[in-house]
Amino acid sequence: MAASTLTGTGATPRSGLGTVVWYDPEITLPDADESVDVEAERDRFADAVDTARAELERERDATAERVGEDEAAIFDAHIQFLEDPTIEEAVVASIEEGRPAAHAVDDAFGVHIEQFEGMEGRMAERADDLRDVRDRLLRLLTGGDRVNLADLPEGSVVLAERLTPSDTAQLDPETVAGFATVTGGRTSHAAIFARSLALPAVVGLGEALNDVSEGTEVVVDGDAGELLVGPDEAEREAARAEEGADVVEESVETSDGREIEVAANVGRPAELEPAAARGADGVGLYRTEFLFLDRQSPPDEDEQYETVRDALDTFPDGRVVVRTLDIGGDKQIPYLDLPEEENPFLGERGIRRSLDPDAELFRTQLRALLRAAADGAGELNVMFPLVATVEELEAAIEAVDDAAADLADRGVDHERPSLGVMVETPSAVFMADEFARRVDFLSIGTNDLTQYVMAADRENERVGDLHDPTHPGVVRAIGRTVEQAHANDAWVGMCGEMAGNPDVTELLVGLGLDELSMSAVTVPDVKVAVSETEYSAARERADSARRVATRSELHETIQ
Amino acid sequence: MSEERTVEIVPEAGLHARPAALFVEAVNDHEAEVEAGPPEGDLVPAQSMIAVTSLGVGEGDELRLVADGPEAEAVLDELERILTTPEDELEA
Repeated sequence: MAASTLTGTGATPRSGLGTVVWYDPEITLPDADESVDVEAERDRFADAVDTARAELERERDATAERVGEDEAAIFDAHIQFLEDPTIEEAVVASIEEGRPAAHAVDDAFGVHIEQFEGMEGRMAERADDLRDVRDRLLRLLTGGDRVNLADLPEGSVVLAERLTPSDTAQLDPETVAGFATVTGGRTSHAAIFARSLALPAVVGLGEALNDVSEGTEVVVDGDAGELLVGPDEAEREAARAEEGADVVEESVETSDGREIEVAANVGRPAELEPAAARGADGVGLYRTEFLFLDRQSPPDEDEQYETVRDALDTFPDGRVVVRTLDIGGDKQIPYLDLPEEENPFLGERGIRRSLDPDAELFRTQLRALLRAAADGAGELNVMFPLVATVEELEAAIEAVDDAAADLADRGVDHERPSLGVMVETPSAVFMADEFARRVDFLSIGTNDLTQYVMAADRENERVGDLHDPTHPGVVRAIGRTVEQAHANDAWVGMCGEMAGNPDVTELLVGLGLDELSMSAVTVPDVKVAVSETEYSAARERADSARRVATRSELHETIQ
Repeated sequence: MSEERTVEIVPEAGLHARPAALFVEAVNDHEAEVEAGPPEGDLVPAQSMIAVTSLGVGEGDELRLVADGPEAEAVLDELERILTTPEDELEA
C-alpha cells in the first residue's frame, strides 16, 4: 500500500509512475510606487500585447498539429480576451494615472477574474482563461522567463496548483509520466489536453497535494482518480503495466491491403524500449546527436557501435534508420569548431559538415555503423541529412565504401547497410529522381522541408502560419518526392511531426508513402488511422489535394 | 441603419470558448457597431470577449443582436451562422 493516497478526478484512463517536479510559475510584480514614464509604459503594454498575440497564434498552430483542432480553439478564445477593448481601456487609463503597466494589467484582469470565479461551470473556466492571458502578459512585462515545461527530466510527474492550456501543451508525453493539480475538473483544459495526449493525469486533488514534496515517487492513477504517494512494489508494477494500453503490436495495412510501416522517431537510447512497447514497427529516424552533445570529447567508434547495435537488437524484426550526425551552427559543442553564422539554418550543417570539417568524425561514425549492421539483429538503414546535391550524396556514399574497405583491411566484421537521403531541402525534392537512383530509400523530414519550402523559420512566431506542412507547396513537394522515389525503385518514408498526425494519415497514405515515423506516443493512433484508410480512395483524394491552390481548399479536400 | 435580430443558440457550449471567439472575431471583422443581450434586457458591446461570455448564454437560449453601420446586415448574417451552427461544424 502506498504511504498515502490522495483522491481527485481522473482525467485519462491511464497510470504513470514517476518523480515529482513542482511547477510554480511565480511572477514578481515591480514596486507599485515607483514613478513611471507614462509614454514608455503604454508602449511596453502595447508591445507585450503584440508578443502575446504572436505567441498565442504559434501555440494554437502547434497544438492543432500535436493535439487537435478542437483543443487548439481555446487559444482563439485567449486571443479575443487579450484584445478585449474593456481590458485595454482599463489598462491604459490606469497607466495614465501613473500605475506601472504590470500593475495596471494585474488590476484590469483581476476585476473580471473575480467576477467569473464566483460563477459556475463554464463561466468559472473563463476565470482560468483570463488568468492564463494575464500571466502571459505579466511574464512579458516583468521579463520573467517561463519555466521550461518542455524540457523536464524523463519520468517526471508535474505537480502544480493549476496548469494552463499553454503549460499543458508544452508537456512531452514521451518524457513526462503524468501530472496532478490542486484545482481543476474533468472538463478543465488541462484534463482535456491530457486525454488528447494520452497523458496520465489527476486534477482537483485539493490543498493536500501541496504536502507532496519535490522528488517523491508517485503513481498518477488517472483511472481511479488517485495519486499514490510512495507506492509499493505492486502498485508501481501495476502502473508500469498499464502504460501500454491500446497498443497495436502487429504491422498494419489499409482496409484494401497496402502495408504501411509505422515507426518511431528516437532521440536517445532510453526511448527505444518505450517505442517498441508502443507498437512501433521499427525506428524511422534515430538521431545520433545525443552521442555527441554534452561532453568534452567525441564518442569513440566502440561506444557508437554498441549504441547502434543495441537499437538494432531492440527491433530484431524491424528496420532502424540511423541518421548520421546532423549538427549545425546553432548548437555549441566544445570539441567541434562550429562557426558563428548569420543564418545557421542556411549554413554549415548536416552532411555539409560531415563531408568537410567533421570528415574524421564522419568516418568513425560510418565504421561504427557498418560494424553494428553486421552484428545487430534488426536491419540497419543509414541516412544522410540535409543533402542538397548529387555530389554531396556521391561523396557520402564513397565515405561508406571507404569505411567498408578500411574494416575489410583490418579483418573486422561489417556489412554495408541500406542507404538513404533525408529530403529536407527544395533541391532534394527537385533531385529526388537522381537521389533515388543512387540509394535505397528517401525519408522526408517535413519540419525542415516546410521551413525551407515556405522560407519560414519555424522559431519565428511572426511567420508561424506559414510553417505548416499542409500548405499546397509542401504537399506538392511531398507528392513529387514520392513519385520520383517510386519511379526509381526506392521506398519512401516521412519522419517529421506531420507523420504523427492521424488527421493527415489518409493524405500521406494516399500520396504513396511507404513508411511513417513519428514520436512514439502517437504510433498507436496512426496505426489505427492506417487500418481505417482505404488506399484506393485515399489515392484519389491525395491526387485532388495535389491540385488545390490554397491551404483552406486543401483542408477541405482531406477532411 | 440599425438592424436587429433575435437568434436561438445552437452550439452546445453556448457562447463560450470557440463559438464566442468566432463571434467576437466576426464582429471585429465588420464595419458595424454590434451589441448583444437577452431578448428583454441590457445589451453589451459585442466586440468584448469578456462582455460576451459574461452573458452566460447557453444552448437553446435566445440572443438579441443589434447592429449599426454599413455592414450591419452582413455582420448579423455571419453572427447568425455562428450562433446556429453546431460547434463541430463551425469553421473560422
